[in-house]
Amino acid sequence: MVLEKKSSARVEADSRRRVLDEATRQRRLSRQLEALEKDNFQDDPLSSLPPPGPTARLPTFSETEEPEKKKRKTRGDHFKQRFRKNFTTLLEEENLSDRAEPNYLSAEALPSSLPPRLFCCVCGFPSHYTCTTCGGRYCSSKCLLTHRETRCLKWTL
Amino acid sequence: MATLVLDNGAYSAKIGFSQEKVRVIPNCQFRSKTSRLKTFTANQLDEIKDPSGLFYILPFQKGYLVNWDVQRKVWDHLFGKEMFKVDFTDTSVIITEPYFNFSSIQESMNEILFEEYQFQSVLRTNAGSLSAHHFFSSRPSELCCLLVDGGFSFTHIIPYCRSKKMKEGIRRVNVGGKLLTNHLKEIISYRQLHVMDETHVINQVKEDVCYVSQQFFKDMEISQMKGEENTVVRDYVLPDFSSIKKGFCKPREEMVFSGKYKTGEQILRLANERFAVPEMLFHPSDIGIQEMGIPEAIVHSIQSLPEEMHAHFFQNIVLTGGNILFPGFRERLEAELRALAPAHLPVSVLLPDNPICYPWEGGKLLADSPDYEEIVVTREDFEENGHFICEEKFDI
Ligand SMILES: Nc1ncnc2c1ncn2[C@@H]1O[C@H](COP(=O)(O)OP(=O)(O)OP(=O)(O)O)[C@@H](O)[C@H]1O
Ligand SMILES: [Mg+2]
Ligand SMILES: [Zn+2]
Ligand SMILES: [Zn+2]
Repeated sequence: MVLEKKSSARVEADSRRRVLDEATRQRRLSRQLEALEKDNFQDDPLSSLPPPGPTARLPTFSETEEPEKKKRKTRGDHFKQRFRKNFTTLLEEENLSDRAEPNYLSAEALPSSLPPRLFCCVCGFPSHYTCTTCGGRYCSSKCLLTHRETRCLKWTL
Repeated sequence: MATLVLDNGAYSAKIGFSQEKVRVIPNCQFRSKTSRLKTFTANQLDEIKDPSGLFYILPFQKGYLVNWDVQRKVWDHLFGKEMFKVDFTDTSVIITEPYFNFSSIQESMNEILFEEYQFQSVLRTNAGSLSAHHFFSSRPSELCCLLVDGGFSFTHIIPYCRSKKMKEGIRRVNVGGKLLTNHLKEIISYRQLHVMDETHVINQVKEDVCYVSQQFFKDMEISQMKGEENTVVRDYVLPDFSSIKKGFCKPREEMVFSGKYKTGEQILRLANERFAVPEMLFHPSDIGIQEMGIPEAIVHSIQSLPEEMHAHFFQNIVLTGGNILFPGFRERLEAELRALAPAHLPVSVLLPDNPICYPWEGGKLLADSPDYEEIVVTREDFEENGHFICEEKFDI
């Protein structure tokens, strides 16, 4: 209830703030979800070595192959190209969207029919309020403050 | 001739000869801060004394094999003299691939297994098909089973009617162990300590302290309480890799509820994180993934199949993979399915003794079955007929 009383003052303050549009909010969400797919957040220790001296040589990518056991030459070399494609390219090449039989795309679970559950983006407890600027959720004025000071508009987009 | 069974997961390879025991080995390479120039492969992870800031090089992306250089390094190591000493020309291999594996990846598999390694014969299949074989071998009177395969990259629901995979009923929920660990890392880093570079450590935290809640909103309330009343909260002592080699939970009686610990250890305090993280499996929309959770997707899968089979599926739901190992997972799934399924149908969710190796054990049984020779493709076959013969025989 206290929060409600203060709300007129808050609305005024909010109107001076930048408000993120729907498209930006969506972009922010997909960026967050992409981050959850990352293998690492830090740099590769190999590439973050201090700059080598004039005589030091870092092994380059191809040199990490061990030279002593020479691989049997096979068709392998012809289709090397195929071994260099990432997930997105491979998926596109499958041309699945116009396939009738069950496939990778059709197997994805549909959106849930249950109502969404909302949690405070600061502390993770159930939340009742939405940040008017970015659409993020919060549970208390304490968490709103933290949210504004940390992520609200500060997350680079 | 020996048969090597390899359930080639995006996180771990479950591997062993069919006459021997299975081993679970990381299916990736690593680099560490302490020996930057060296790349460690698979179980060489054990040689890294200080795995803080461990850097992962993974062969899979979103569950599909894309980084062949890395995969071949791992396989060279596994098949080689340090580990399984495979005599390729006298060995048959059973190897798993993800459901709906892309055709170009399937072709690469054929070429690498037959032409590079020169296996005598090959059976390419899904982990689910091996699990189904395992299930029907131990329960010959059952007609159908519905597998839940919860791995690193995603969770699949795969219905089988005897050995037939019912493709139209397969469902994928894009929540796997990788997402859970990354999410846990993210919230810990925001709330208390920067651990974004500590995938290895936080993955262990996840496996040690997370659980599936049976009463989600009640646990939310409990985990918000102060002091002793908060029966959810745990203090996790992080490893420093010198005196503390492995992280662990402080025993309840040693917990300090207010104020600091006198000991110098680095502590993570985990409350709602413990159950909110695995909750993604039940409600992916909690973090904005617009997909059904596992219980809903199971019901949706069963409903897409012939009605006379429904009762059989609801009664034989089998959990496999590492990501369903959270305490409480089976009970919660069964309770939710009970509520969603038609009231007159019994619901039963089975948790095998070793869900991670359940497919591998199925492969072992298959390798020793009398008609094994008929379901493989030999190198001769492949040399004569190429990819075509593999497409004919393998059901990926
Ligand atoms: N006791 C545990 N509690 C919770 N999670 C666990 C436990 N043990 C393993 N896991 C998780 O299970 C995942 C690995 O499971 P599994 O070995 O079945 O995957 P995979 O077969 O390699 O992957 P995929 O099937 O996606 O290719 C990892 O994310 C790991 O953190
Ligand atoms: Mg698996
Ligand atoms: Zn809050
Ligand atoms: Zn905001």
